[in-house]
Amino acid sequence: MQDEIPAAASSPGTPPRVYLKGIAKYFPGVIANENVDIEVLPGEIHALLGENGAGKSTLMNILTGIYQPDAGEIIIDGYARQFASPVQAIAAGIGMVHQHFKLVQAFTVAENIHLGWDETPKRTSAAVLEARTAELAKAFNLQVKPGARVSDLSTGEQQRVEILRVLSRNAKILILDEPTAVLTPAEARELFRALRDFVSRGNSVIFISHKLDEVLEISDRISILRQGRKIATEKSADCDPRMLAKLMVGRDIVLDDMRGRAASAKPMSAEPVLKVSGLSALGDNGLPALHDMKFSLRAGEILGIAGVAGNGQRELSQVLTGVRPASSGEIVIAGKTMAGLKAGEFAAAGIGHIPEDRLHSGLAPAMSITTNAVMREYDRPPVAKGGFFSRDAAGKLAREIASAADVAIPDFAMPIRNLSGGNQQRLVARREMRIADRILVAAYPSRGLDVGAINTMLRYIVELRDAGAGVILISEELEELLNLSDRIAVLYEGRIMGILDNDNLDIDEIGLMMGGRVHATAGEAA
Amino acid sequence: MAYRIQRLPSSTPLIAFAARVIAVVLALLVTALILAVTGHNPVELAGEVLSSSLFDSFGLQDLGVIFMPLMLTGLSVAIGQQIGAWNIGAEGQFYAGAFAATAIGLFIPAPVWLSLILMGVGGFAAGAIWILVPTLAKAYADVSELISTLLLNFVAALLVYYVATGPWHDRMTNSATPKVPAEIPEFWGAIHWGFPVAILLAIVLALVLSNTKWGYEVRLSGSNPSAAKYAGIPVRRHLIMVMLLSGAIAGFAGMLEVAGTVHRLQGGISNNYGYIGIMVAVLARGSLVGVIFTGAFMAFIQNSGIILQTQGLTTSAVLAMTGLILFLTAIGEELSYYRVTRDRV
Repeated sequence: MQDEIPAAASSPGTPPRVYLKGIAKYFPGVIANENVDIEVLPGEIHALLGENGAGKSTLMNILTGIYQPDAGEIIIDGYARQFASPVQAIAAGIGMVHQHFKLVQAFTVAENIHLGWDETPKRTSAAVLEARTAELAKAFNLQVKPGARVSDLSTGEQQRVEILRVLSRNAKILILDEPTAVLTPAEARELFRALRDFVSRGNSVIFISHKLDEVLEISDRISILRQGRKIATEKSADCDPRMLAKLMVGRDIVLDDMRGRAASAKPMSAEPVLKVSGLSALGDNGLPALHDMKFSLRAGEILGIAGVAGNGQRELSQVLTGVRPASSGEIVIAGKTMAGLKAGEFAAAGIGHIPEDRLHSGLAPAMSITTNAVMREYDRPPVAKGGFFSRDAAGKLAREIASAADVAIPDFAMPIRNLSGGNQQRLVARREMRIADRILVAAYPSRGLDVGAINTMLRYIVELRDAGAGVILISEELEELLNLSDRIAVLYEGRIMGILDNDNLDIDEIGLMMGGRVHATAGEAA
Repeated sequence: MAYRIQRLPSSTPLIAFAARVIAVVLALLVTALILAVTGHNPVELAGEVLSSSLFDSFGLQDLGVIFMPLMLTGLSVAIGQQIGAWNIGAEGQFYAGAFAATAIGLFIPAPVWLSLILMGVGGFAAGAIWILVPTLAKAYADVSELISTLLLNFVAALLVYYVATGPWHDRMTNSATPKVPAEIPEFWGAIHWGFPVAILLAIVLALVLSNTKWGYEVRLSGSNPSAAKYAGIPVRRHLIMVMLLSGAIAGFAGMLEVAGTVHRLQGGISNNYGYIGIMVAVLARGSLVGVIFTGAFMAFIQNSGIILQTQGLTTSAVLAMTGLILFLTAIGEELSYYRVTRDRV
């Protein structure tokens, strides 16, 4: 900690905390970064904006020593530095909270916090580590359960552990990759307060986000990357969301109310396509995760599921698609009860599923793009003919899905993990929409996507709705839910707190329900 | 100008192949160097190895005799890898197959053709039975197959040793069973018709994996079981089936060894083929057709060892050589992810 540096220490003569000068990074066939100049000042929150594949992650991987730049210099506090490994970057006070968590799943929260940390007491016990962790959690105002195993935690809780781990290392430069994606508005505000407090001591924050409003709220300056190059650095005070979106994607973006139906759209059905009653299910830890749920969904309707991540969204999406068995209750799809059926039968009944964690449950990362693209239709013609698998037809289907998803793919035989996260998500979405004749269960379909891709994704969902499918849209973006949903159900600790018609909704009301208050007039509105 | 080494997230097949070739060449060079230091003439020895294996009709036949079981045990391990299982027990399944084939050949009187068919079926079945417990333990209780398959090798080896020297022993030799009457006919010297059958088996299995619905489901289940479950694939059923198939192939190799090459059951009949098969599969990088080529290569190394022994070298020298190859291949595998780049400053 360098307490002697005053807050807002951008006085002349003070070197920038981080100066990335002419950074370039090339991968075979790809310019990840080229000629990127970025200055991050002490006491500044500097936002990094850019579409998927714009080079933000690569740039940060260079700054944190994971990659070495092919050209350019990293200058920290006026001294040129080279980081051969992340350890050296951490020693230089650079800490990063990644989008994909770097936690040991089998360890407890306290063990993860103290792992590879020289301040960890040499002789210690679980109780001591947990007490230290609880203290740290209190100091940084991040709620964690010190004794819990990371594998039992929700995505949101895991991220809090990640943030706490980096903050506890006395980082001078904190890099956050989409930190608020799994936080409630209130938690996000807490985080912002902690970040403000952090930079007021002369530290710096690099804040990667797609959420324009949030970037405008938290950052002092904003740098925009596009196709590996820096487009502009602007003072946040001089920016508005429309202008940023335009700089980012190079065109105008309109996020708006999509509830209106075109004349050609199929009308909402009178009978529900999905009826759920008394539905309960267990979580991975064997404890009840869903309690006595009751709701219905009509064909041509979008039911939004609001709530803070980790309140049963994952389990709900899995139960509705047959991946997780229900412990009690009934799921009826188009008049047919699905009791005891598995994921294959749900898919055959016309239910598509965009899972929460695409990389681990929706894709086989080491296998080819073609293999992954045909995962839902490998068992039917034209890919399957009798018991045979037609590689030509599979290749053709993969190209079809890639072109519908608007993803340019140089080589369909390469492992899908080589694609950017955003492109993987688009392929999964398009793949699932093809089989979703009756219902699409979309868990966070726009998580990790940029504004342009989110817009495309939401239009896909509207297109599916207009074609007569029912959509369960699980999202943490209230704006997205308000723009699309006909009704919104709020989930809290595995219970539905109420289902509201999306008509002049009071956002504060939803916020209260997300926090556990039952809606006064809540009831089944189907 | 500054040079820098960096690690890439993936490696290309060409570079991975090159890394393998370099590893093998380096291992041979190191071996040659050690031979030279210990007072041998490596060039002379190499010439001897080549002239009495690749450039000699009898040598080629010897090579084929070693190649066939090695390729099949390699195939067995490689099939297991498709579903994400490491079958370290090909050695034990080989013994089990040889045991069953001998029992059928010795004690079930039948015409030769029928006896051979029964022995073949028995070999497949015995191999599958030998891996049954590890398979069920993995499928239902998530018990690591690495340990369970490995431990059963010792049980099988000792069982075979016991019957070959005990209840089934031949009064003439005392260390092996009597000759099994049914023999697989030979078509070229010591090379019998099991040889083309084995190669055909590898090719057919490779085609099945890449060109059938079942093959797709197996590959997906092996690569990411949770994605396979999400796609509605019965992962456990496939795991059980593929692991049993893996055991059956190793058992079949044992049967061929009895009916085609050795013609009787004896202790140590497996010749470590089950363990060397792991190397064959690793070198083939999970490719079932690749096993044919890496099997041939490992057979050449093993055969060279035998030739070198006739030149006064010990078996340890051969073991060291195979160890070196595996060791350097593993290093080459890792290094194939690295590139040397030049800074443009």
